[in-house]
Amino acid sequence: MTSTPARPMDRLARVPHPSADVGAYFDLDNGLVDRTVFSDPSLYRQELRRVFAPSWLFLAHESQFRRPGDFFTTYMGEDPVIVVLGRDRRIRAFLNACRHRGMRICRADAGAAKAFTCSYHGWSYDTSGKLVNVPNQGDYPDRFEQDSWGLVEVAQLDTYKGLVFATFNPEAPPLTEALGGMTWYMDAMLDRDPEGTEVVGGVHKWVLEGNWKLAAEQFASDWYHVNISHASALMVMSPNGKGPKDGIVQTPGRQYSDPLGHGHGFPTHPKSRFDDRVVHEWYDYAALRDRLGDTRVEGPMTTGHATVFPNFSYLPVNGSIRVWHPKGPDRMEVWAWTLVDRSMPDEVKNAQRLYNLRTFGPTGIFEQDDGENWSECQATAHGFMSGSLTLNYQMGLGLQEEDGVHPGTTGRLYSDGAARGFYTRWRDLMNTPAWHENPGKDTAS
Amino acid sequence: MSIPTPQPAVEASGVYDADVRLYFETHRLYSREAQLLDQHRYADWLELFTDDLHYWAPVRTNRLRRQQALADGAPGEVAIFDETKASLAWRIRRFDSGMAWAEDPPSRTRHLITNVMVHAADEPGEYIAESAFLCYRNRLEREVDLYAGGRTDLLRRAPDDGRLLIARRTILLDQNVLLAKNISTFL
Repeated sequence: MTSTPARPMDRLARVPHPSADVGAYFDLDNGLVDRTVFSDPSLYRQELRRVFAPSWLFLAHESQFRRPGDFFTTYMGEDPVIVVLGRDRRIRAFLNACRHRGMRICRADAGAAKAFTCSYHGWSYDTSGKLVNVPNQGDYPDRFEQDSWGLVEVAQLDTYKGLVFATFNPEAPPLTEALGGMTWYMDAMLDRDPEGTEVVGGVHKWVLEGNWKLAAEQFASDWYHVNISHASALMVMSPNGKGPKDGIVQTPGRQYSDPLGHGHGFPTHPKSRFDDRVVHEWYDYAALRDRLGDTRVEGPMTTGHATVFPNFSYLPVNGSIRVWHPKGPDRMEVWAWTLVDRSMPDEVKNAQRLYNLRTFGPTGIFEQDDGENWSECQATAHGFMSGSLTLNYQMGLGLQEEDGVHPGTTGRLYSDGAARGFYTRWRDLMNTPAWHENPGKDTAS
Repeated sequence: MSIPTPQPAVEASGVYDADVRLYFETHRLYSREAQLLDQHRYADWLELFTDDLHYWAPVRTNRLRRQQALADGAPGEVAIFDETKASLAWRIRRFDSGMAWAEDPPSRTRHLITNVMVHAADEPGEYIAESAFLCYRNRLEREVDLYAGGRTDLLRRAPDDGRLLIARRTILLDQNVLLAKNISTFL
């Protein structure tokens, strides 16, 4: 006789999901990547199981949740989730799917709710995920255990300086451990202000026909494209409007590659080249040097680019923080927030907001060209020959080192170092059975 | 059988010569504007706006029915466009740089403007014009994007020759997730 399946994910371990060894797609010591990893549908399914499900993923910013009941809906991999502030002021995240028939229980992007009631049969859940109402309950058998049918909660949820992350993986290390050495670099954006950060209202969302890794990799590792892809934007933004000076092409800088797959590139110079003037003039650079140290003010706080593995990226100077939601091997959705320091006066926050939307919003003068690159990289992967190309990730090979200035392993600004680190991590996760594949273990969430 | 005498239908149906003239002028402005955009003549397009222009396209969010007031982004929130005439000029300079790769080769666009309604605003010489748009973009081989929505403009007569100029534009794009990799034209 079967009893109530109290543990919602028990089935996972019983259903075999064949997984491929992806080692053959990489020769990272020699900087080689087979582009099959961007387009193969079965690798994509494996990626959802072994890269997204086990990893810490970015959900939202704490400032989106002010009062109990405030919620925001997003995705973890392709899993829809509700993030909600409970009456105990704890942020929780649940699969946005009713336990009865799987209907999406919350179809709003954000808002405030006392309970989430499924519009299919009326099962209703409170903000702690508990199933609180089942219409016609008398018609269920006695062994129906209402307490066992609450929303499926993530295994762990934590915040890092305002950023909310969660994972379905009960065996994942704590968030700060998973962020590892990256936190020193992240703090150059998240810890400029003793008051911390907040996000501007609203989220930019757009879709493009490209694999999510194209974007995640670029934000980890690719300063190289800036001078070419964004030549038009650089020209518009240069003081004389005639194009960047030659010196910019030789911009000195470093690129951090974290063993957990994170990456952060940044020019090293005391004054950031892309800053919005109002924002730049507001900053008290002497105080920032006291707070963050010269190395960070002259490095990762400048016009950097970063990815927290697997799919959270940011641009400290533009104030863009974003997730690359996977939507199949050939498609991603970009969800982007605008981050500001809490103690900025309103006019400075507004200047940061406008600067971000004009540069890196979906109409932004930089973002337009990135979108074209990613969609065309994807489009040329559909051929048999073109889709089997080995791609070159050799820039900066052999130049990774501990430079005695920046923590961890860094290379030059112009480097594929962090991309190689990103794919090393991706490959290792793809080749490691996730917690849910181990039938001997307790898979309760 | 007698031929009916032409009636002064104008007055009977509440349509006046001045309305017809204003409607015609507005429609002509929008047709001209669409043509300039579809011909990528952005610098000429910018001449259709006043110097104090505010050009705004808020983000649309899915909200519960009881929270519909929050469904269209508020001023000061994340927006698709939030522009002055100067910032539009900045965007246009990029297109004209010869290195705006996202538009090289250029897209084909067709801006269709319809459902026009226009009436006098409070200030003399100012009008509120509402319109619907459908912008079709075809790019490279098979890329197709559709941007559909509504616009509410404040029109103002130019002090020199009295032609209609656009002083405010609010664009409500009828999409939540923008169903395109970017917007490389104007709406």
